[in-house]
Amino acid sequence: MDNGSSSLADVLERVLDKGVVIVGDIGVSLVDIELLTLRIRLFIASAQTAREMGMDWWTNDPFFAPHAAGQDNRIASGQHQRKELEQQNAELRGRIEELERVLGERAPALEKGARP
Amino acid sequence: MTTGLCAYAITRDHSFDAGGTPDPDVHLIAHVGLGLVVAEVDLAPFTELGTEASHWSDEPAEDDPLVVLARRHDAVVRAVFRDRPVLPLRFGTIVRDRDAAVRLLADRHAPASACLDRVEGHREWSVRARRVEATEPENLPADGLSGTEYLAMRRQRLAKTLGARRRGAEVAEALHEALSKHATESAPRGRRAPDLLIDAAYLVPEDQESVFHAEAGRLGEEPGVTMVVTGPWPPYSFTRLELPAKAAADA
Repeated sequence: MDNGSSSLADVLERVLDKGVVIVGDIGVSLVDIELLTLRIRLFIASAQTAREMGMDWWTNDPFFAPHAAGQDNRIASGQHQRKELEQQNAELRGRIEELERVLGERAPALEKGARP
Repeated sequence: MTTGLCAYAITRDHSFDAGGTPDPDVHLIAHVGLGLVVAEVDLAPFTELGTEASHWSDEPAEDDPLVVLARRHDAVVRAVFRDRPVLPLRFGTIVRDRDAAVRLLADRHAPASACLDRVEGHREWSVRARRVEATEPENLPADGLSGTEYLAMRRQRLAKTLGARRRGAEVAEALHEALSKHATESAPRGRRAPDLLIDAAYLVPEDQESVFHAEAGRLGEEPGVTMVVTGPWPPYSFTRLELPAKAAADA
């Protein structure tokens, strides 16, 4: 396989994302590769084949097709959970207040009791 | 014009012939047995890369500035790789001047030499194996089915899909094991798709290449599997490492 027939995506992926990185040397600088790599990832993801990246496999799977319905269920159950937690929270606050009130009432008595 | 030295690869010190490279300016800066493959370049094309937002939505074409530079990088690395072990440097490594190039090699002499030893006599081959999709229609013929029949059919389909995935994982493991026997190292390439059994690079000793290819060919003929092998590549996937200057202190 010569250079010309190497798939562009394969070459870019290797040249931009692999190989030795020289770090910690003031005489050496790297072109801002982060951006370039990101761009190449986008390219590979969108152009080459989304299928290859496993990005759309679920769209063809009959089981996952009713995707939206599943999501609605999750949201609904999330809301339900939240309501439960809020209720629990309110209940606990109430109990803490009650305990503090009782303790407040008993504190002077305890102090007296501590000094015979 | 601001210029700098674009560094392409680390190799062993040898009488370097720029004839095989796309750039007659490519030369070797040597230091104690190691060589840094460099060319004096105009830095503007590098600094201007990727700054145009319009590029982001487009597929890079062969005349895209990034693609041109990346292809040149690959061509230089390959030219060196033809007769020497090579450590490809990450694209866009710019060295200020000759002194910086020598210091780069001096400060990393031990790890770079060790890495060259590791890849010497090897070439990288990339293997992508897929499970061949069953050519069943994906759309369920829902007409004229009762609700129960429809659900039963869906369940059946799901069981089939899951079964195929599980078998796929077993096949992938067997393929990978068979290929690894003839490779010094392997590196997964990180793509995921349910029909993708293997997507990996193998570092294959040159004297094992024919066996490796025979094995890949044999595996590719297994029913339900298609296999694409690309290469030889310089060992890009096996030199994905950072070489900090402080390594010099440990050496």
